[in-house]
Amino acid sequence: MKIRKTTIIIHVIAWSVALIWILPFLGVLMTSIRPFNEVLFGWWNFADFHPSFNNFVEAWNHPNVPLGIGMRNSFLVAIPSTLIPMLVASLAAYGFARFSFPIRDYIFAFIVLIMAVPQQMIAVPIFQIMNSLGLVDNYVGLILVHSAWGLAWIILFMRNFFLTLPIEIEEAARVDGASDFKIFYKIVLPMALPALASVAVLQFMWVWNDFFLALILIFDSERLLATQRIPLMRGVFFVDWGVLSAASILVMMVPVLIYALLQKYYIQGMIGWTVKG
Amino acid sequence: MRIKIPPFFSLPALIRKSFFAPALILIVFFVVFPVLQTVYISFFSPSDEFVGFDNYFDVLSQKEIVNVEDVSKGLSQPFGLGALVHNMIWISIHLPLSLFSGLILAIILRDVKGASIVKSAIFLGMVTPMIVGGIILRFTFEKNVGIVNGLLTFLGLEQLTRSWMAYAETTLFALIFGSVWLWTGFSMIVYSAGLTTIPKEYYEAAKIDGASSFRTFFHITFPLLKPMTITVVTMTLLWELKIFDIVFVAAGVSGGPGGAANVLALQMWNWAFRAFDFNRAATVATILTALTLVITIWMTRYMVKK
Amino acid sequence: MATNTEIGIAVLVIIGIIVSASTLFYTLDLTSRIAAIEEKLPPTLTVIGPWAGKEMEAFLPALQRFERLTGYKVVFKTFRAEDLAPILPAQFAAKKALGDVIFMWASFIREQAPDGHILEVTDQIDKADFSTGTYDPVTVDGKLWGGAYTGKVKPGFWYRNSTFAKYNLTQYIPAANGTYADFVTLLNKIEDTGAFENPIVSGDKDGWPLTDATEHFLITYGDPQLQKDLLAGDVSWTSTEVRAIFADRLVPLLAGNFSEPIDWTTGVELLWEEEYALYFMGSWITGMVDDPDDLGVFSLPGVEGFVFAADYFFIPAYTEHPEEAKELLDFLVSEEAQSVQVAQGGHLATNLDVPLTAYPVVDKRVAELMVGKELLLDLDDTIGGEFQTTLWSQLRLLWTSPTALDSVLAAIEAKAP
Repeated sequence: MKIRKTTIIIHVIAWSVALIWILPFLGVLMTSIRPFNEVLFGWWNFADFHPSFNNFVEAWNHPNVPLGIGMRNSFLVAIPSTLIPMLVASLAAYGFARFSFPIRDYIFAFIVLIMAVPQQMIAVPIFQIMNSLGLVDNYVGLILVHSAWGLAWIILFMRNFFLTLPIEIEEAARVDGASDFKIFYKIVLPMALPALASVAVLQFMWVWNDFFLALILIFDSERLLATQRIPLMRGVFFVDWGVLSAASILVMMVPVLIYALLQKYYIQGMIGWTVKG
Repeated sequence: MRIKIPPFFSLPALIRKSFFAPALILIVFFVVFPVLQTVYISFFSPSDEFVGFDNYFDVLSQKEIVNVEDVSKGLSQPFGLGALVHNMIWISIHLPLSLFSGLILAIILRDVKGASIVKSAIFLGMVTPMIVGGIILRFTFEKNVGIVNGLLTFLGLEQLTRSWMAYAETTLFALIFGSVWLWTGFSMIVYSAGLTTIPKEYYEAAKIDGASSFRTFFHITFPLLKPMTITVVTMTLLWELKIFDIVFVAAGVSGGPGGAANVLALQMWNWAFRAFDFNRAATVATILTALTLVITIWMTRYMVKK
Repeated sequence: MATNTEIGIAVLVIIGIIVSASTLFYTLDLTSRIAAIEEKLPPTLTVIGPWAGKEMEAFLPALQRFERLTGYKVVFKTFRAEDLAPILPAQFAAKKALGDVIFMWASFIREQAPDGHILEVTDQIDKADFSTGTYDPVTVDGKLWGGAYTGKVKPGFWYRNSTFAKYNLTQYIPAANGTYADFVTLLNKIEDTGAFENPIVSGDKDGWPLTDATEHFLITYGDPQLQKDLLAGDVSWTSTEVRAIFADRLVPLLAGNFSEPIDWTTGVELLWEEEYALYFMGSWITGMVDDPDDLGVFSLPGVEGFVFAADYFFIPAYTEHPEEAKELLDFLVSEEAQSVQVAQGGHLATNLDVPLTAYPVVDKRVAELMVGKELLLDLDDTIGGEFQTTLWSQLRLLWTSPTALDSVLAAIEAKAP
């Protein structure tokens, strides 16, 4: 009897926490589907309730900064910015895990340290570098920067993963005369697929959610990414909070859906890369 | 006679180096080089004269960064307590709060039906773009439209309702609690995963010994979760030091009333793009990086040791 | 040796992936650029301005008139000055620019002009056609660097006629030759109805509408010259004169009469919902409400000047169509364009040739208030830079912590010119 009581209490607590946690998101949702004067004194008042999806349509086809094009652009940037560092970092991570040479651990430690550097640190120089390469306002430039910034954590994550793989299979292959590279792509990479999935999910989400690097490097209004378009939907004298909320939800939907569908990999990515080495 | 190739340049060694080459090239070009350039700029005056550490003394003596002349007035003095102090306050409240609420939730949710739905609800903040998170926070704390005041009214605390972001005394704390809301999912998820690695036998043994659940927690669970704790602490610290977007969106460019919620990254942005003083901005960026490096070195030592 | 081929593969695959990914996106980018160039055959001018929604719709008719006159295509994009400030300097360094005609703070135009990023337009403009002083904020060393489009005036406190009639408040509206006490009486009468949260709603967006209200107090209880002196840095914010205005006139109203700062778009809605009775706002408010004819406005008794904030714009030196952009500049400063704009409501012309008949009825009320009054430049927009953000954030602080007055004034003075 006593046990059942605590069980009930725990359930009530857990579910109310979940409810409270979700409330601010509900606020955005309500603002996006209801006329603004209905939510003026709190969206939880339902005396008047006239939901409509007009704000979503309006945000998607916004006359200035159509979010539809922004979402397409964000995919164009986020996909290569995920694939390139995944491949490049896996190679390096395998090297750090399996090859030994004198200064290996120092280089590895150095790369891990890079994770700490705030992006603000490169705000000014990165623009000058990209400008001299002719890659300003160009997705190639942004993709390269995202790739480079993703490398540090992916190397750390993948190296930790490779260390958990049994070395015997690789050694057997080496005895059979397979080269390092062949071992890597024939044996190691296939075994690493779950880890790579985690990397892909996390890196994609970070690039998608990025605002700062895009702000510096992309400014042509056709090329603006999704996150950049949200602040531009308000004018100096006029803010349509309904459209702004709808746009926020649309931009949010992509990472939320990825999380919902690939939760397992996402969580493994979140915890795996720092826990053990 | 065959020329003997030094081992460093031998063919197998070169292949092995080619594993590292692309990563190192990208990192050197797009991370290391611009970072060094920023450090370099921080030692020069706007007229390109070398000034040693003068910029550092100058920046640290600005009220926007550290303002402890009249701490008794608290946040409601011009420039609040300074961006650096605000970052420290942020850490001292946000870190324990998000860490322990995540831990408690992780423990509770082990025995809850539908735990994965609850977890997803709490984790939503982690997958939300920060710029959206900032907009949500701005509204959550507004007087009429915000749910915080709605809840206070519901609880009969109507006299407490206000626009929390409008008052110097509460802006920073509203943002900090808002960031706990966004970030708790991280520690919850990490601890949840950590708890599954603790063998059941440990608890059974403790039960047989008659240990209370508190003793079990402090002597078994918490020590075994040490790697997770280190992860959460490190990542949370880095996040708190770099915090920018949500302050920028929710409290505004000037960092709230009188800069009461100003933080280092925002001050850097203001000096760079408002005052166009890139040397000062680079100095703030370098200080920020130095702080994050200290934390990461601590973590790296733990991780490379193994 | 097998490993030889393996090296080849290894290196080629890596380089190949990077290169092919790069070229793929470069060509994608290139094709879109070529498409953009082809589209431009009749020159397309891009205009960047801060307006969205109804404000933008009120601006487009002027651009459409220009399109019809010249046969050029004009595209309008919304970028607020706050959003442009961090982007433009970097672009200038790259010899690029977002648009061909860009609306921006005058302070920014002055700041960038000496570095050659902005086209000089001295020959384009005859200052005699415009209100006195209109072009001072975009003048550096006697040369002009930008045009002045229409502008907004910040006339005073707005209210709903219907609300005032409902609560019998109309009789207490202070007369132009009244006193501060009359204004306070009105506030007390509003308070006495018990129908309002506070008498005045304080609109806030990072602090700027608060600065407008503050300037109105400074101009009324100092004089127009005081505002000019503050702008020039000839009077200190900590002087007894300035401090007295704050301490005796503004600060006593902050506790209770002015509301706490509220998101200012929401403020308009709340005025309409009769949650508050008065709103200090610029003339553009007439374009934001459902029924502009229900709006009334009065100034603080005894005011001798108003802030008139012209919308300034410039032509970046990196435009591909400098001649066409100059044509657009000529048009935007002309009587013709400004007549089209003011007819949409909320705007006042800088060009003196625009006739009063061009204005809609609501704006006539504003025009009446302004008869015989001096027009002044906007304090924070004209000075710009760190002063602007400091003034914003310090006033936000003052609004909720009125006791911090002295330290607030000291903090503003520290960043003042």
